[in-house]
Amino acid sequence: MNGSRTNGAAIQLEGVTKRFGGHTAVSLLDLEVPEGAIYGLLGPNGSGKTTTLRMVMGILIPDEGRVRLLGGPAGVRQNRLVGYLPEERGVYRKMKVLDLLVFLGEIRGMPRGDARAKAGDWLERLGLEEWAEKRTQDLSRGMQQKVQFIGTILHDPVVLVLDEPFSGLDPINQEVLEGIVREFHARGATILFSTHLMDHAERLCERVCLISRSRKVLDGDLRELKKRERRGLVAVEFQGDDGWLRGPEVREVRVSGDGVHLFLTDGADHQAILRRGVEAGARIDRFELVEPRLHEIFVRHAGALGDVDGLGVGEPGRAKGGTSWEG
Amino acid sequence: MGGVKAILRREYVERVKSKWFLFGTLIVPLFFLGLMLVPWLFASGREKTSRTIALVDETGVLHGRVAPRLEEAGFTVRLAGHGTEESLRAQVLAGELGGYLVLGPEALSHGQVTFVGPQGPGLVGGMTIRSAVAQSALEVRLGDEGTREELEALLAGGAMDVRLLQDVGGGPTEGDPQFMGVFVGTMLLYMVILLYAVAVMRATMEEKTGRIAEILICSVRPGDLLLGKILGVGSVGLTQLAVWVAFGILLLTLGLPALLTLRPELVDPTFIAAALPGLGQATLFVALFLGGYFLYAAVYAGMGAMCSTEEEAQQAQFPVVLLLVLPVLFLMPVMEAPNSTMAVVASFVPFFAPILMYARVGTGEVPLWQVLAALALLYLAVLAVAWVAGRIYRVGMLMQGKRPTLPELWRWVREA
Repeated sequence: MNGSRTNGAAIQLEGVTKRFGGHTAVSLLDLEVPEGAIYGLLGPNGSGKTTTLRMVMGILIPDEGRVRLLGGPAGVRQNRLVGYLPEERGVYRKMKVLDLLVFLGEIRGMPRGDARAKAGDWLERLGLEEWAEKRTQDLSRGMQQKVQFIGTILHDPVVLVLDEPFSGLDPINQEVLEGIVREFHARGATILFSTHLMDHAERLCERVCLISRSRKVLDGDLRELKKRERRGLVAVEFQGDDGWLRGPEVREVRVSGDGVHLFLTDGADHQAILRRGVEAGARIDRFELVEPRLHEIFVRHAGALGDVDGLGVGEPGRAKGGTSWEG
Repeated sequence: MGGVKAILRREYVERVKSKWFLFGTLIVPLFFLGLMLVPWLFASGREKTSRTIALVDETGVLHGRVAPRLEEAGFTVRLAGHGTEESLRAQVLAGELGGYLVLGPEALSHGQVTFVGPQGPGLVGGMTIRSAVAQSALEVRLGDEGTREELEALLAGGAMDVRLLQDVGGGPTEGDPQFMGVFVGTMLLYMVILLYAVAVMRATMEEKTGRIAEILICSVRPGDLLLGKILGVGSVGLTQLAVWVAFGILLLTLGLPALLTLRPELVDPTFIAAALPGLGQATLFVALFLGGYFLYAAVYAGMGAMCSTEEEAQQAQFPVVLLLVLPVLFLMPVMEAPNSTMAVVASFVPFFAPILMYARVGTGEVPLWQVLAALALLYLAVLAVAWVAGRIYRVGMLMQGKRPTLPELWRWVREA
């Protein structure tokens, strides 16, 4: 695992822009994935996640900016050390499962014998050993996806680039793959994955980058982000009139199961609201700064960039706001 | 290069293992074998009795000459005396006899013969009988002037020797064994190049529509990918050709002699020997096949990368197939005059060279420098086309949706 280490960042994007015809898919993106990190690239459909990952892998070449992977320009040589799971996952339908895996190992420079042995081990581990000699077209979609995942990690990559690795899998298999990702992380591998499933990001990531409408809106350590964002959300339980809740500090009031959530405007002081409540004579049982869920953070920042309605960019007909893409 | 090897091996192994390969490889020689054997099988089964005929010679002088001639042509002949016609008729009706011939006085004067049987003697059988009777009658009437061979040569229509003056460069005419060999060779080139180039296109499309391309492109350079694919499919082609050639040799060394003893009139060994290409021509064939295949395979691979559906591919194929059909249309004039300006110029065009250069070399004296120059041009064109196709390939493999327009294609080539 400790093949090529570079100082600091395993993946680095500087001012990267990619356009397709008149459409800008990614705009002036800076991204730095530290070595050994699990990094989540989050955003709604059509926000530029796949384009970004393809540029990381050197499949697409940015119109502007610079991409570096393991200290070098993205390209075939670098990619041998990387396990890339594309969003569009295909297989040779007529090939046998084991043959396919050996082939995938081989094109990344593994000797045939090694590839065969490793593939056998992984198939066994994922409960697919009886399928080794079956054609891939006879497998269910979920099984195919597991085979593709094996193909991605077969050559013991030091970097994993996974595009929506968990979509389409049942919860049990999601857990299995998550476990493998964690294992690679524990062995020091760097992991960059995209998802629109905030739950996964929340469970797995150390760092996240949120992009919306081809721009980065948030980037950093997940725990710090949450701590920072904590000032923005207050959970309140009270009895009496609710007039005191509204004020210049409060952007939105949302009634939730256990009370009321107040979304504060930037820089607002929650003490002012509390004071107003006490003055109004309300009986306040709970007034707590809550750690927001990633989903709420994202909705808020995507909204701050312009309009929340823009979340479903490029996909007319989608429901407004973040709920449409949250898993 | 490791990538090329892996791609090549996969392409080769998966194809050779498939049922279609087995089917295609065996069906062609079996087809040709069947073409040769079916008439013989058909004949031997049915004609056992129908080829047994009786001969009633009323002239008294003809049977001695007619009977051996018929025996030579595969009939079994029984001589029958006068007045046995009633019993012969009964035997024919009983199926013991295929029929009987009556040679009356008219046989000697006009070559008139009567055949009595459940059905006619058939086209070839009838001709054999008529010529046997007519030749015998002529021999009897001409007496002993000349030998039998001399008479036969005369009766067969004579012969003409054609002596060519040097540098006149007349091509061979149809029916010439050489002509047949060249014609079969060019057709084989056309078929095999098209077959395998299209196979490369299908392989490319499978990777594109099956969404496998992305994983390949990030692990293997597009050039290596294209090369591995073309070499892999090409090796399958060569394997298939080798099986066919081996089968052909087997047929010529074992099958043909056997066939010769059974039905000598069906095959003319000297004709076949003259139609087979020499070593030089066989080498040229392989060189032209490889060049032509690489050239067209690269074009087809680029095209497969451009298209997303079978229908699109079919439409896009049309101009390319035209490139391959055009030299076939030129084939006749080129073979008639292999050193005319038109033939020389056309055989230098890389897209036409595989077929037309082979035809020229097969039918006339072509200066060596022309052959080498055409081959050099062909292989240069392969490099150029592969470069362009590789760039189209790289961009096209990730594009889904509509086929690009020509200006878009140009941008792909520039930007890839």
